[in-house]
Amino acid sequence: MSQLYRAAASEGLIQHPLDSMTLVYQKSSGITHIVADPVPAILTVMGEQALTAVDIAGRLSDRYDLEDSGDTAEIVLARLVELCSLGLVDKV
Amino acid sequence: MHQLYLTVGPTRYRLVSAWQRPLDQLAALYQNYPVSQDGYADFTVRLEPEKPWRRYIRPSVHISGDFWLPDAAPLPLDQSLLAAEMGMNLQMALGWRRHLLLHASSVEKDGKVLLMTGLSGSGKSTLSAMLAEKGWRFMGDEFALLDPDTGMVHSFPRLISLKNEAIAAMRAIVPENRFGPLMKGTPKGDIRHVIPPQNAVNRMADTAKPALLLFPRFGHDPALRDMGKSEIFVRLTQASTNYVALGETGFRALTHFVDTVPTKAMDYQSGDQAEDLIDSLWSELP
Repeated sequence: MSQLYRAAASEGLIQHPLDSMTLVYQKSSGITHIVADPVPAILTVMGEQALTAVDIAGRLSDRYDLEDSGDTAEIVLARLVELCSLGLVDKV
Repeated sequence: MHQLYLTVGPTRYRLVSAWQRPLDQLAALYQNYPVSQDGYADFTVRLEPEKPWRRYIRPSVHISGDFWLPDAAPLPLDQSLLAAEMGMNLQMALGWRRHLLLHASSVEKDGKVLLMTGLSGSGKSTLSAMLAEKGWRFMGDEFALLDPDTGMVHSFPRLISLKNEAIAAMRAIVPENRFGPLMKGTPKGDIRHVIPPQNAVNRMADTAKPALLLFPRFGHDPALRDMGKSEIFVRLTQASTNYVALGETGFRALTHFVDTVPTKAMDYQSGDQAEDLIDSLWSELP
């Protein structure tokens, strides 16, 4: 949980919400990703800072008034691993 | 080598052929289209024998040009019109960059465009041809060209390509002198081309605003269904041959289209049913 993650620079991504899904266009790769909640929120709260999954879970709880079910950081970590494989987030 | 220049919508073609006959057939079917005299072309399509001796012995047409597919099978000479059409479509599908290209038919009325897209056999081509005989302006049965700067649809009114049962259905409403030769047993089944109504050719430079997108599906009880924007977006990326190539421009054009154009899935079992469903949707548009 101490691993730091940083999102791709926000000016390099275009987020476009549709219905239940959000499109994320990555300018550097030209790839359009289709993601579901909570990925758009994770990318938003990450900004351009290097953060751990616990940090991100805390920011999500603050901003979106989440009830702390105790496993938010695990859920965030699972999404971060997926986002790393897509190239939308890097390990720092 | 023989050659012919054709203009379809914004696209100018040079067709080069080892045989005069396919060019004569094309020239007859495109005789009312504008002719470019300056020798300029966006794309060249080549109809050449697969091997030199196949020009004369069991002649077979190999399609090539600026853009080509390495595994495209040659066609017999009596299907050379189909070869030319496939070659012209291939150049657009692989080479066109000025617009977001959607594999869709389009017709216009009151300055608004109805687009229809879907898999082969959905009836999008036949429905556009039918509506073109009933007061709509035919804009294309194969490609709709979406302008990324303005969001308008450009017309690409090439010959209408009818397949199998659609040929008999259209013969009932289109005069015989607008039909090309019947090509039986092609890889796509029986094919016959139809010259679009003359107003489609006269007005092929006129753009219009997209107003309704349909995903028709033939052979099911008539019904209209809403679709989620995510599904619409994904299916349109599948229907576009140059979405990836256009990069951010394509993304912005397609998201704007999905956000602003009402869309329905439409099931139908006959042309009359489809026309009723389309009329009801059209009357409710703003």
